[in-house]
Amino acid sequence: MKSRILRAPEGTSNGGASEAATLTTVPTVGAHASAPLGPIKIAARDVSVFYGDKQALFDVSLDIPDKTVTALIGPSGCGKSTFLRTMNRMNDTIPGTRVTGRIEMDGGDINDRKIDPVLLRAQVGMVFQKPNPFPKSIYENVAYGPKIHGLASSKGEMDEIVQKSLKRAGLWDEVADRLHSPGTGLSGGQQQRLVIARAIAVEPEVILMDEPCSALDPIATAKIEELIDELRERYCIVIVTHSMAQAARVSQRTAFFHMGKLVETGDTEEIFTNPRERRTLDYITGRFG
Amino acid sequence: MTDAASPMTGVSPRTQRLKARLRARYARETRFRWYGRAAIGVALAFLVILLGSIITQGYTAFYAHTVTLPVYMDPARIDRSYPQGANFEQIVAEQQVRRLGVQDDEQGSKASAMKALLSSELKFQAAKMVARQPSLLGQTVPIAAPLSDDAEMYLKGKITRDQPEDQRRVSNAQMDWLDKMKASGAIRAHFNAALFTKGDSTQPELAGLLGAVVGSALMLMVTALIAIPVGVGAAVWLEEYSPRNRITAIIEVNINNLAAVPSIVYGLLGLALFINFLHLPRASPLVGGLVLALMALPTIIIATRSSLKAVPPSIREAALAMGASRTQTVFGHVLPLAMPGVMTGAIISMAHALGETAPLLLIGMISFVPGVPHAIDEPVGALPSLIYIWENASERAFHERTAAAILVLLAFMIVMNAAAVLLRRRFERRW
Repeated sequence: MKSRILRAPEGTSNGGASEAATLTTVPTVGAHASAPLGPIKIAARDVSVFYGDKQALFDVSLDIPDKTVTALIGPSGCGKSTFLRTMNRMNDTIPGTRVTGRIEMDGGDINDRKIDPVLLRAQVGMVFQKPNPFPKSIYENVAYGPKIHGLASSKGEMDEIVQKSLKRAGLWDEVADRLHSPGTGLSGGQQQRLVIARAIAVEPEVILMDEPCSALDPIATAKIEELIDELRERYCIVIVTHSMAQAARVSQRTAFFHMGKLVETGDTEEIFTNPRERRTLDYITGRFG
Repeated sequence: MTDAASPMTGVSPRTQRLKARLRARYARETRFRWYGRAAIGVALAFLVILLGSIITQGYTAFYAHTVTLPVYMDPARIDRSYPQGANFEQIVAEQQVRRLGVQDDEQGSKASAMKALLSSELKFQAAKMVARQPSLLGQTVPIAAPLSDDAEMYLKGKITRDQPEDQRRVSNAQMDWLDKMKASGAIRAHFNAALFTKGDSTQPELAGLLGAVVGSALMLMVTALIAIPVGVGAAVWLEEYSPRNRITAIIEVNINNLAAVPSIVYGLLGLALFINFLHLPRASPLVGGLVLALMALPTIIIATRSSLKAVPPSIREAALAMGASRTQTVFGHVLPLAMPGVMTGAIISMAHALGETAPLLLIGMISFVPGVPHAIDEPVGALPSLIYIWENASERAFHERTAAAILVLLAFMIVMNAAAVLLRRRFERRW
């Protein structure tokens, strides 16, 4: 094995805690990596999430490199979306949710009291499963983020941001002549690209995608996947997907979750061709999940 | 072939059973449709009966008769410096008796009977004319004035000759006179504008709705200004900001309970709190509006909360994930999307408040208030309490006016509900 595998503790959580603690100290990406990885953008250490009394995520430690697509896979309810939402503190919005452990972005703890989740979310954009443009015009949708964060000082600058974002999201050619028609009038795939444009309009560093193609047809899906591949040059992308094929197509790194635990992580190729864990093999070959 | 060949055409026991079952299912569906139609039919019948009886009783209030008589301004009986003191009704009645060629007796009973057909408004008009233009004294001038309520009732067919003369308020002789005056063109029917331009009066022919309409409008204004911002604010806080704990749960249960508290209890609360404790002016639109606002609050809160709940969470997530603060999310996205529901709830509760009578009785709005109010701290009447007062009045002419007032109240409500529908359409957006 050349790629480094971060293994979440299995079995009793008592034993797992100490094992995970030792992992924190090791440099997580090293010379062993098969492909040269970018610097680590987000480092999660012993992250657990509780919804009330129910624990949804157990001591997950995972490194997410920059300028890379990291896919989170696993059966429904395995905690991959929960983990995704810890990275922009969207879990804070659900009452009764508690997050423990450290999540570092560029070395700083995002759960620090001094970090304002509002600013964090400007740095970490998110795209949801169901396209959720605001019931406003296409222009207003894209301009919303820059507007609330005060990123544009003039109308011209705003126009520029909107155009640039729509171009990067590969939507410009389709909507250039109807920027002021409602965003909700677009097709599902276009809406999802509009939402991506909206997310990148605030120049985030990380984009989280929660099953972005599950509501789309294959052609729209292909377009989004193409887009994700282009966006990889600029952003750190984390994508939750149910489609193994999609994970294989778009990601360079893959992390497999099961029952709230991180089972295995590594280069996508490695995970799909030569998984270390029996459960990973069973899942990717379709034996469960 | 066995019965497995086709379930549609076979005659096997299984197919037979399926078919029988299907027939029963269709029959049930048909029955249910008929139940539904019957229910709608009953509801419509009640509505038609209700509206029909109100309209048939009330439409006569929308027209009135005016009598125009030439009056000789007798300088001997009218004091130039104090025309208000002159007994114009007597003067006009005597002249009219003579004009109709009726021989009066010594007691002047015919003139008295004639006088009973005229409204006291005649006196005020005549006095005003003389006061403004004293040179009219000695001349004969035409004066137009309403007829008395009894005369009106005869002209509108509510009192007829079929009734025994001693059991009606208009004698045969009076009826003859009215017929003559009508035939000669002295009495003319016209739209009863006074109903909409005058305040309440003890005399039915002079009583109008304007005072009550203005009173109700002022009161609703106070209610809307207080209940809508407070109610929507409370709902937004409870739904979007409050922590979910025991205290908020208790608040929630109590708001739901308050919505079911009888309105008369709110009246008692208003009496104790606003009048006895805060010493706000009794029977004023201010107090009425405050009481109705208390009453409308739970409804507005419940309606607003449920429409906030109906906004898809994806919109909230979208805004939050863009880095919008909670307040930006609520006021920029969630509340605008909930607006149709909020508006509908607010207007429906306003319409409800408009028709509320019981709390008004307790804060003194049941008293007779002549004239039209101008300020929110003057005593006023309100439409529903005016209906109550008129319905209890003994004069027959008030009955048609009661029905007319109900129609005006209904029209008021239809306008409000139409506004609710329009606003809903206007604000409704897809997502």
